[in-house]
Amino acid sequence: MPDFAQNADAGRADRALTEAPADGITSASITLPVPRTREDRAPVADAPGSPTLLFDRVSKWYGPVIGLNQVTLELRPGITGLVGHNGAGKSTLLRLAAGQIRPDLGRVAIAGFDAWTAAAKRCLGYCPEHDTFYEDWSGRRFLVAMAQLFGFTRGESRRRTEATLELVGMRDRADRPLASYSKGMRQRIKLAQALLHDPPLLLLDEPLSGIDPIGRRESIALFQELARRGKCLLISSHELEELEKLTDHIAIMAAGRIAAVGTLSQIRSVLDGHPLTIRIASDQNHQLACSLLALDDVVGIDRDGDALLVRSRNPRHLFAKVSDLVIEENLEIRHLETLDESTHDVLGYLLGGRGR
Amino acid sequence: MSASLLHYRAWQGSWRRPFWAVVPIARVALGMLLRRKLFWALYGFALLLFLMFFFGSFLLDWAETHLAATPIQIGRLKTEPERAVRFLRQGVRVLNGSQETFAYFFSYQGAMVLVILALAGSVLVGNDFTFRSVGFYLAKPIQPRHWIIGKCLAVGVIVHLLTTVPALVLFAQHGMSDWNYVIDVDYFTASAAGNGPASWLLLLGIIGYGTLLATVLSIVLVAAASWLRRTMPLILVWVSLFLFLRIVAAILVDGLKYDGRWRLLDLWNNLGLIGQACLGFDHGSIRPAPQPAFWEAGLALGGLCIACLISLKMRTRDVPIVR
Repeated sequence: MPDFAQNADAGRADRALTEAPADGITSASITLPVPRTREDRAPVADAPGSPTLLFDRVSKWYGPVIGLNQVTLELRPGITGLVGHNGAGKSTLLRLAAGQIRPDLGRVAIAGFDAWTAAAKRCLGYCPEHDTFYEDWSGRRFLVAMAQLFGFTRGESRRRTEATLELVGMRDRADRPLASYSKGMRQRIKLAQALLHDPPLLLLDEPLSGIDPIGRRESIALFQELARRGKCLLISSHELEELEKLTDHIAIMAAGRIAAVGTLSQIRSVLDGHPLTIRIASDQNHQLACSLLALDDVVGIDRDGDALLVRSRNPRHLFAKVSDLVIEENLEIRHLETLDESTHDVLGYLLGGRGR
Repeated sequence: MSASLLHYRAWQGSWRRPFWAVVPIARVALGMLLRRKLFWALYGFALLLFLMFFFGSFLLDWAETHLAATPIQIGRLKTEPERAVRFLRQGVRVLNGSQETFAYFFSYQGAMVLVILALAGSVLVGNDFTFRSVGFYLAKPIQPRHWIIGKCLAVGVIVHLLTTVPALVLFAQHGMSDWNYVIDVDYFTASAAGNGPASWLLLLGIIGYGTLLATVLSIVLVAAASWLRRTMPLILVWVSLFLFLRIVAAILVDGLKYDGRWRLLDLWNNLGLIGQACLGFDHGSIRPAPQPAFWEAGLALGGLCIACLISLKMRTRDVPIVR
């Protein structure tokens, strides 16, 4: 059962989140782990049942502007895509999860630790969106410095740097100055610094932006492999097609709230109130349109060249009816496709605008 | 790029405490600065002053031993050796290794420190905000205070390299020029009045003066650079703090004969005042007079540092959202 709420009644979304039965990422009840806030305590493995990342009724204000509003979210191992328009609160959510800002209300916890503590940050790999570094430095030197910040010895920092450089395919180019790196190479170095300590939680902000197609495919494969190995990945992205390839589990943000969490099809299935647009091309468009308009679920039909754009509240019923019409009226259907089942369109519906 | 290549060992050791992160933070900042040729050019220029202090005493010794025999003639100007030596001694009288030597050294060298810090502030600190590198730091298991301490440590190292280290070399030069310490076990303690070379108190005073400069200047620079970020605004603020306020204080106290406490506006004077207290100067001997009391200058510096730390706390609280 997906968790869903429209933007207009976001409060309902939170209730839905807390009331829905557990099904992977979202769960019915939130069991708060015993807080351990001492910085120097070593991170421990997740206690059974405790989420890797927990947002418990979290709110964050920037002066009079609310950045995040009563967000409740649980993430467990797997990949979750985070989508939303600019200003929806994605960056605020990631920064709260990364412990870089503190919530004004509620609690953010990573593996049971408050997110801003050192213990929580040891469980976290954060790959921010911006990619400006110390440009004079080589990638290798940058990674060694980052590794030392985790508390590794110099020798261990070097070993981990080499391993992660190999992992992201940058070992042979790691001695070049960062200023000479392409956008894709910078993305890889950013990813490497997030993986240095093999964290259970990875927060990746636009990790596929600027990477060439081969690198993108490799990155997706890496993310999926990491997820298979029990990591929890929260990936914020505007590259929705890529995100669809990566995971079908998404969290949609709008106006500082989680508007929906779940698989795309789950979210789409509860969008029955919103008409689905289907493009149908037939050799007898006029006759087909007349027949379809007679259906209660069809709310409108437009012409689109030599095809029809049919908007239906119940696509399953429509598909069944079209099949019947083909047989009964001997229609020849040349083309049939749904136009708005992608993340773009779901996002568009949820946010009250067009997806594309 | 395959996860199968993720073959580093699981970490079996214990994590070092977050405080240890200040070392790599300082090292990264210093690494950024020490790569720049301009820094080394300025550092070399700053060391010219040190060389003058270093070789000045040799010049005096040489003059006293070699100019005594024959009259000196430069062009038509002819003078007696005694007069020449007296003139030279007058000129380099502050190079005798006394507390006055180090007060002058810190004062002159400090001016160069201010110039270098104004230019280096954006590299050491400002760029972290400009390029949002702070986000990388604060996503690691450290707190903002560790970042602040790391940056202050980097600035402190620069200040010490320019002031305390050369001053200690000067101290060693003057202390070791008198070989009595080899045979006299009470040499250092006996001369501990604080007025001559090879005095432990003088040594502590030098370290104290250097530490004072490093502490105050690093906190002020990190706070200023975290807000201003770019070099030019930083230079303007730096000039206002250390030059404009100095002129204002001088006009008020020396020109308009206001109370000496108005000199507390002069940050550099406050630093010099406390530094000279470290070197063992009497308050009455410090020029220009009148001066505020030592404790008043200390209070002013302490207040400034606390204000800067509060501003840094505000700056690093929600740092990633700052553009």
